[in-house]
Amino acid sequence: MYQALLTRRYLTSKVMPLLAAVAVMLCVAMELIVWSVMGGFGDMLKNSGRALIGDVSITYQPRGFAHYDDLIARLEADPLVEAATPAIETAGFITLPQNRGQPIYLRGVDGPGYARVTNYAQSLWWKPLAQPMTKDTRREDPRLRPDYAARLREYEEAGLSLTLRRPEDPEPHAAVVLGIEIGHFNSRQPEGWYDPYLFLPGQDVMVYVIPTDSRNRPMDARGLNFPVANQVRSGLFEIDNSQVLIRLDALQRMLNMDEARRIAPGGSAGSFVRRVNPETGREEFVQPQEFVTDPARVTSVLVRGRGADQVPRLTAVKARTEAIYREFAAAHGDVPAAEEVEFETWRDKHATLIGAVEKETVLVMFIFGVISVTSIFLVLAIFWSMVSEKTRDVGILRAMGAGRAGVAWLWLRYGLIIGLVGAVLGGVAAYSVVWNINPIHDWLGRAFGIVVWDPRVYYFSEIPSVVVWWKAAIVLGGGALASIIGALIPAVKAANMDPVRSLRFE
Amino acid sequence: MTMTLLAARDLRKTYRLGRVDVPVLRGATLSVSRGEWVAVLGASGSGKSTLLHLMGGLDRPDRKGGGSITYDGRPLDRIRSNDLDRYRAADVGFVFQFYHLLPEFTVLENVLAAAMILHGRFGFMRKRAALEGRARELLAAFGLPHRLGHRPAELSGGERQRVAIARALMNQPALLLADEPTGNLDRATGETIIAEVARLRERTGQTIVMVTHDPEVAARADRIVHLRDGRVGE
Repeated sequence: MYQALLTRRYLTSKVMPLLAAVAVMLCVAMELIVWSVMGGFGDMLKNSGRALIGDVSITYQPRGFAHYDDLIARLEADPLVEAATPAIETAGFITLPQNRGQPIYLRGVDGPGYARVTNYAQSLWWKPLAQPMTKDTRREDPRLRPDYAARLREYEEAGLSLTLRRPEDPEPHAAVVLGIEIGHFNSRQPEGWYDPYLFLPGQDVMVYVIPTDSRNRPMDARGLNFPVANQVRSGLFEIDNSQVLIRLDALQRMLNMDEARRIAPGGSAGSFVRRVNPETGREEFVQPQEFVTDPARVTSVLVRGRGADQVPRLTAVKARTEAIYREFAAAHGDVPAAEEVEFETWRDKHATLIGAVEKETVLVMFIFGVISVTSIFLVLAIFWSMVSEKTRDVGILRAMGAGRAGVAWLWLRYGLIIGLVGAVLGGVAAYSVVWNINPIHDWLGRAFGIVVWDPRVYYFSEIPSVVVWWKAAIVLGGGALASIIGALIPAVKAANMDPVRSLRFE
Repeated sequence: MTMTLLAARDLRKTYRLGRVDVPVLRGATLSVSRGEWVAVLGASGSGKSTLLHLMGGLDRPDRKGGGSITYDGRPLDRIRSNDLDRYRAADVGFVFQFYHLLPEFTVLENVLAAAMILHGRFGFMRKRAALEGRARELLAAFGLPHRLGHRPAELSGGERQRVAIARALMNQPALLLADEPTGNLDRATGETIIAEVARLRERTGQTIVMVTHDPEVAARADRIVHLRDGRVGE
């Protein structure tokens, strides 16, 4: 009881404990801000990675597998699966206007189906905008211009369907959608919008691929001209600088993966028929032949799970996808077995990048955690000084019958209160900063010219941040704990003071 | 119930100053009966305060051959630390020369602090009204009803010592140990304080051991003992 009363009095009558609380507050705020920003950055990368491949992909490279429509129907019948779509993934090369060219990662997709599985529709860049981007206060983004709106809407539709209809040519053309950074025709502005140096939609590009034969041996490169329907921005520079989306049927034809008729031996195995050769007039034994249809193939089926944002659910969707594929393979003799096929979640696909960001987060948190350890020593130094100053109080309390444990608890309790006050204030400060991090950053830029997160460099127009409550609880608890640890040694010192000497302390 | 409340036999206490052992008590023996007021007279450095600290359980005699102290039959030199804390809280009230009030507490809180320590959080909360009433009564009896909310720094020396006495009596201890209670006061104030202690003694029969170097103060006691060279003599 006396501890509570003394703690309250010490708190309100001394400046030193407030300094200890400020030390805890700063450390808590620093940890929380860093964790929130790094967490936001990680989440942004993960969401970007997920935006263009869905949750789970079933891949068999490079030959691909047939009957994918049946597989998709089976997948979409499952309650865990929201949608599925076919895709072909292959390497290629692109030649661009102004004699530019570069290797590309080519993905053949069915536009509307792809939009159901991924965030493709949201990722399309050239479309009319009703509201400017957050930092575009001067509304300079060309997508905001009303006179461009009709044209941009056409490109948006063309992008979604991967089909472009030219004004001079009524025939619709299979089209491509390029990553926004391909060819560097767009200049990213500090406000996050793109200023096109050369507006690519409507321009023609040449796409080259190398088809393979039935034994997976590369054949001669094949190139075709495609109009650009739109551009896409995923948020991952590696993807936006290399990925080209193309209409699935066009890529199937280029890679010889479309439906095809061929001549195959007919009849039962080893059976021959007698036939008169019309050229020689002689009778001979020949194997009968017949026309068969090879079904179209794709290298991948992309799957979107229901509520697969969370890792356990994502894992469940992957497991279910694998099981459905096994049933599918059992029903079709000409598709690869499940063991030959790769099942990957979006986390697996971007494991290197996500792992790097997660490791960086741990590293940064460790470094800041070590820095935060200084708060323990600050509290220790301040409490040591306070215990020395209050030596006589300790003697008085002991003379009145207070035990060692009671005296130790007085200081530990005091440390706990200081820690809690500091942690709560730190949490409030961190929350205020994280909540307003972009306005603060903008203000720093305007007032002092300090632009730490330049969108041209960091590839995001706003500083990402996310406050996760369990993380905040850990940091706040850590702050309070640091204060208790800091108070521990002074508390033991106070408890072990000789009461007689304490009473004589000057 | 025995008549002897406190008995110290052949008490020895040696302090170590650097590498030198300084014997302060060299076999002090003192017996205090219930209701008795004993004054311990002695020169500065004669070991008066040390004797008081040992009797009050603030310190222990030397480990080897340090003598014995019994309070109401209980050996204070051998009981556990927790029991000694309990003894100080329940059975002893200390009054010091320099008052030793907690500067952050008000007058009322200083007096209540003794009860808070004795009864613990829940015990104190349960009896709060009664305990607060007793603290107010004590402070009123010592002429401080108008000073309850003041801090020690706002009081005169005499007022502070009255608060210290009220605090010492808060838990109704059987033994009041006063270490030069008038040593820091002017003569008039000192006399007033001693008169108040005497009145209290008359009213309650409180057992008092008072250390002083002032023969006039000592003369108010039932018995005077002298402490010379670490030994007690009548």
